[in-house]
Order: sequence, then structure tokens, then C-alpha cells
Amino acid sequence: MTNAELDVDPISAARPQGSWMSRLRFDRYSALYLWGAFVVFFGLTQSAYLSTASVSLTFGEKTIVCVLALAFLVPLVTDTFDLSIGANLNLSLVILFKLRSEGVSMWIASPLALAACATAGFISGYVVVKLKVNSFIATLAMSQVVTAMSLLISNNRQITEKMPKAFKDIGTKRPLFNLPMYFYFMLLLAAILWYVFEHTPLGRYMFATGGGREAARLSGVNVDRLTWGSLVVSAMIAGFGGFVFAWKNNIFQNSAGPGFLFPAVAAVFFGASQLKGRANVWGALIAVFALAFGIKGLQLSFGAGTFWIEPLFNGLSLLIAVSLASRQGIIKIRKRKAASA
Amino acid sequence: MDTPLLTIEHLSKVFPGQVALDDVDLVVRAGTTHALVGQNGSGKSTLIKILAGYHQPTGEPVATLLGAGFPLGDGRAAEAAGIRFVHQDLGLVDMLSSVENIAMGSGFLTRRGRINWKGETARAREDLAAIGFDDFEVTMPVGVLAPSQRTAVALARALRGWEDGASLLVLDEPTASLPDDDVQRLFDAVRRLKARGVAILYVSHHLDEVFAIADEVTILRDGQRVTTQPIGDVDKSGLIELMIGHKLVTRRSGSFDPAGAPLLRAANLAGGNVRNVSVTVLAGEVVGVAGITGSGREHLVPLITGQIPSIDGDLEINGRDIAPYAPRQLIQAGGAFVTADRARLGNLPMMSVTANTTMCDVKRNARHHRLLHPKERVEAREWIERLGTKTSAAEAPISTLSGGNQQKVLFARGLRLVPQVIVLDEPTRGIDVGAKEEIHSIIDDAAAGGSAVLVASTDTDELVRVSHRVIVLRQGRIAAELVGADVTSANIERAQLQSDHNSQDGLR
Repeated sequence: MTNAELDVDPISAARPQGSWMSRLRFDRYSALYLWGAFVVFFGLTQSAYLSTASVSLTFGEKTIVCVLALAFLVPLVTDTFDLSIGANLNLSLVILFKLRSEGVSMWIASPLALAACATAGFISGYVVVKLKVNSFIATLAMSQVVTAMSLLISNNRQITEKMPKAFKDIGTKRPLFNLPMYFYFMLLLAAILWYVFEHTPLGRYMFATGGGREAARLSGVNVDRLTWGSLVVSAMIAGFGGFVFAWKNNIFQNSAGPGFLFPAVAAVFFGASQLKGRANVWGALIAVFALAFGIKGLQLSFGAGTFWIEPLFNGLSLLIAVSLASRQGIIKIRKRKAASA
Repeated sequence: MDTPLLTIEHLSKVFPGQVALDDVDLVVRAGTTHALVGQNGSGKSTLIKILAGYHQPTGEPVATLLGAGFPLGDGRAAEAAGIRFVHQDLGLVDMLSSVENIAMGSGFLTRRGRINWKGETARAREDLAAIGFDDFEVTMPVGVLAPSQRTAVALARALRGWEDGASLLVLDEPTASLPDDDVQRLFDAVRRLKARGVAILYVSHHLDEVFAIADEVTILRDGQRVTTQPIGDVDKSGLIELMIGHKLVTRRSGSFDPAGAPLLRAANLAGGNVRNVSVTVLAGEVVGVAGITGSGREHLVPLITGQIPSIDGDLEINGRDIAPYAPRQLIQAGGAFVTADRARLGNLPMMSVTANTTMCDVKRNARHHRLLHPKERVEAREWIERLGTKTSAAEAPISTLSGGNQQKVLFARGLRLVPQVIVLDEPTRGIDVGAKEEIHSIIDDAAAGGSAVLVASTDTDELVRVSHRVIVLRQGRIAAELVGADVTSANIERAQLQSDHNSQDGLR
């Protein structure tokens, strides 16, 4: 799917070919190269690294980060931040477990959880669009409000409930390549978003809003509605992330959601430096898994007590990938300076 | 009085395809206020930019400052020689206070490494009081100040430490965006400076101001110096005649049906610098909008197209009422427009030529919400060919194109809607001569096809070239209307520069 995209990539079409470095396209494919390097290196040095169990575990583990990355990506395309995705995940999760403990059917609990998240997103949208509060601040504040709701509902306790079999099956059944059902749900969601972004007028309007809000408005694009809508969708996707957490871990904890915020945000920005040179679905997912495979390898190599590797690795890779992507820009500026001097 | 402070001889500047300054001489005497006047494009801003070191002169001009040689086109030399500038946009940081803005140029007073806020605040108050502004709190962010107060802050900054080696104060169109009452206050400030013996180079095309404060005036026209005279030797109408070019540009397109349908109708529009303007444009007619900066000319198109909200008045496009600040309604009613600020309000810089072309109606190339990329590209290529846009590919980002070609893409964006009403703002600003003529032809063709066209422009030759009728704005109102054979550059420029009697009295 990504190949068809790349044929019409305007950035690469306009860019002249240069050194071996630019021909390898490290700037646009660094995550894929990185991923490949990890697989080769750790595959050779660690016997357990490429075992089916290990690989499927890594893919399964990172599904939640992928879902939250997609949630962050949707408003980001319209140049709007949503930092409440972690809190929204928690809200959805606590509603599922609380209603289950009250004996409510999951068929009712699930839509209610999503509706609660949608409401939170709607309020964020109102604050951003109508009250003109910077989205970074508005959603940061909303994340605290939503967290308070979750605490209120859970009474600050961990909740474990026996879920119905049909619900649990999604977490345990592995239909293909030994990967859990919810991994495929995530892929389906990613494919839908990719289609909307790249192949519908709606996606075009969203990118236009992000690329130049006022220019888009003057072209007749309803930028307010798109911003608002993207925050609602983002909150609902984060709510779906709560389902994934439930399927996978079968437990509610207050600390569940917020921990996923940084990896998700980092993946989106790392991913934005990949493939198309702007925020995109597959770039974000590739970034998540490239990092996950690196961390897995390091943890296998260094054994226990390597809990600090993950954040270090996430942070450094984001810095390096984004620097590589801006290298082209830096070279251009240097050339211009040299020419005008 | 007679000692020359700044002398410039044989200054020329050639831009590709255009001579901006042609062998210009200028002498500013110590302790005097020297006005530099001329129409748009006469070369006065180029001269100031060379003085500030922003442009390099062409050839080898000779300049002296205080009797010593002075390199033109060198910003550091200008600063070292003590030339201070207040540019039209003022260059203030809105979030910072007056105290901080004024200190930014010269540095803060410190005591043991710590900013001496008490001393700084007192100093800022003194500086502002010295030019007659003591009625606002200097610790407030400058973003909340009135326009004249902001100008005063910029002036105070330029004047800080004047006694330590400063020589010349350059004021570049300082009143362009000021309301009348504020102009008075600024003038008082300038008079105080004159009384202090500060030499001023004053750039303006508001002639009343020139008569009110200048000792000498230099007139530029088409990049050449027409004359330099003591202000007492010229009167206003004489000055206007000296400023006006007499190039013969004639309208080259056909006529229109005077009984055509009124497709654009604006009644009593107000907002920004526009106070009350009513204008109707018929099918097939091209109406030009002229006026110096500050006259409302710069805000009429933004008001009509929803770039800024109007505070009063009605707008009707194609018989449909359009709400203020609603570009979407205008487009849906059959209107299209191209904004003056191409970079911020026109282009979507990251997106391709194709996406930029189809932005106003993406759905045309979609079926069941699916974008048909090949169909879209074919349409974009058609427009590239039709308007002769030069681009490496339809998929190249629009930011890789030259200004003229970007403008053609934005024209394509509007024209593909087959609009009945077209509203244009500075359609050829920053565009080379060849592309300019092509865009004029596009306007001709659109009118010939039955569209009503409204064009606002600072380029009077352009207005003469494309318009059937020109309205000239002054102080937010229509001051003159020129039709048919009366549409000449000289007539437009004369009408722009004349002023209403009461305001003239006010300034003197």
C-alpha cells in the first residue's frame, strides 16, 4: 500500500539526487533501516529474538501504543494537539470494568464507554474551537478533568472482573501468524484512517487545515468543524485503546493510560519524518515497531534490570530520526548562506 | 542649516527585469527634515532599504555621512554611523512591555548583573514624555497599545542614546496605518524632534504631512529623481504633477453591456480602514479600486472576501446575501477571489500544485467520497497548460514555484469554479513583467466571458490596463470615480493624493 503512495510523493519528486546518503534515503526511511538492522543484528546474536513467540509478543504488546498513536495523529493532521488520549483510554477502560462489575452487558458497556470518550472529545473541541484556547493547553487540562472522572468512578481502586468469553476471546484468539485479534483490529483502523487521509476529500481538507488554517478557510474549508470533529474522533480512538487494554490485560488500573502518551506521541513525530515527510499512518506504525524491536533486542542482550532502556531508546531515536529528516533543510540553508555571502 | 549631513550620488539599483533606482542623488542637510515622496514603485522604499543595508546598490554610488565616506548597502556601517530607522511595521514585540521594547535596541541598565527595572522604567517614561507621550503605562505589553502609542514606542527606541553618535533618523511611512487623530500626535512628536535638532529623512506619500513638517522635498518618479526643492517653493498641486508619471497605458480589452446584471453589490461596507463604501459591479465589467495605503483600498477586498470581519454593510453576490467573514458562502454563491497575501492566505505551501488547484472544490474529482487522483491530476495539468504555469510537475509542492507561477495556480483555483464574480487584491504584486501581462489577459478573458471583476491594486498602470471603471478611495470612502477615457494613471494618482479640505486644515 505504501508503494503506491510513494510514486506520487511530491517531496521526493522535487528533490534532486545527491550523495550516497540521500540515495539511500536515510531521511525518509530511517525507521525501516533501523528495524532491519535490529532484526539482523539481534537475530544473529540472540537466539530467542526471532522466535515466533517473541515476535508475536512484541507486535501484540505494542498494539495499544499504535492505537494511541493513531488517536494522536488524527487531530495532528489539522495541526491540533490532543494530549488527553491517555486519560481517555483510562476513562473508557474504567467504564467497561465498572459497568461489568454492575452486571451490565458488554454490548451496552462498550458503546457507553465510547460515548463517554466522545463527550470528552466534544468538550475539548468546544474549548479549542469556540473559546479559542490553544489545543495543547486545552487538552492537557481536559486530560486532568477526565482523569478525575476515572478516579471518581474507580474509587481509586484496581478493578478485576471476569469478562464474558466472547469479549475475552478477542484477546486470546490468534487467527493469523500467531497474532491476537486486536492486532488486526488495529490494522483495520489504520487502513481506514490511511484511506480517509489519502484518498478522500475529507482527508485533503484536513491536511489543508493543518498546512494553512486561514488559507484553507478562505478556500471554503470548514476548518472549525474539522478541528472539532478530529478531537471527537481522537477521543473515540483512544477509547478503543481502552478496549485493547482490557482484551490484553483484563484489568483496570489508574496508571494504565498516561504511560502510553509519550511513546504514542513520539511515534507520530518519528513517523512524520518517515515516508512522506508529513504526519502519516504507516510512518507512525513503522516507528512504533522499529523501536519495539530495538528495545526487545537490547533487553534480551542485557538481561534483567534493563527497565531504563525503553525511555532512553524512545527518546534518542526520536531525536535522531527527526534530525535526519531536517538535515536536507539544513543543507539547503547552508548552501543559500554560502551563495549569498 | 546648510551643512550636508548625508550625501548620496549616482545611486542605482537594478532588479532582474526592472530598474528600481536610476542614478539618484540625495542630500540631507543637518538639522532639517527632508521628505522623500513618490508614487508606489517610484523607488523610495528601495532607497531606504539600501540605506538600511537590506539591498546592495548596483554600480558604485558615492555617499558621505558627516563628511566621511560611507558604504551604501552595509547594515552594520549604517548602524555604526548612527542612522536610526523606524520602519513601517515598527518591529515591536507585542508580548513585551514598552520598557523592554525600547531597551531592546540599546541594552538594559544592570546592577550586579541584574536588570535595574526601576531605572529602566523611569528611563522609558522619560524617553516617551520627551516626544509627548506620557499617557500610558510603560509596563503594559505593547500589543494592547493604540497605534500612535506603538509608533511612539518605536520612535523612542530609535532615539534612545541619540546624543551618543546618532546622526539621522529615517521614518518610513510612519503614518500609513494610523487613524487621523493619531497622525496629529505623531506629528507633535516629530516637531519636538525637529526642535531638538534631529535630522530626519521622512518617507511618505501623504502630501499634507510633507507640507506640515518638511523643510526640503525630493521627488522620485520611476526610479529617477525629478527634483529637490525647499518646501516653500512648491505648492501641493505642483508637487502632485511632479509625482505623477505620464506613461501612456491604455485599456486593451472590449466593452461590456451597461444593462448587464449587477453580480456584485456592496452597500455601506465598513471595517478596517474602510468607513463606508458602496460599489456595484455588472456582468462583464472590471472595476478597479485605487487609493494610497491607509485609504481603505487595502481592506476592501479582505472585507468582501471574509478575510477580516466587517462591522457594517451588506454584501450581495449573484443576488445572494453573504454574511460577513464567510468566504465559504461567497464561493458557494459563485464567487472566487485571490488574496493579496499569497504566502499566508493563498498558498498551502506543503501541498502539491494539484491539491492547491483543486482546493475550493475537491469533490468534483471524487466519486462516493473516493478521490480519483488521476482525474484530479489531469485537471490540474489542463490548468497548468491553459495558464502557462511553469512547474516541474503537477505533483511538485507549490512552494517550489516562482511567485508569478504560484499566483497562476491560485488563479486556476478560482477560475476552475467558473465564477460569476471575481475579486482580486494586488493580482500582480511581486510578479515579473511577462507573467503580469499574462495575468492581465486572464482578467480580460474572464470579463469577456461575462464575469464581474473587482480589482484592488496599488499599481495604477495595472488599473488603467484592466479596468472599465476605477473607484478611488480616500479616508475609507469613495473620493472619486473615473469612467472610460478618464481612466488614466495621472487622473487616478491625482485623485489618490488630493485630500479633503478639513483634514488638510487639521494637519497644518
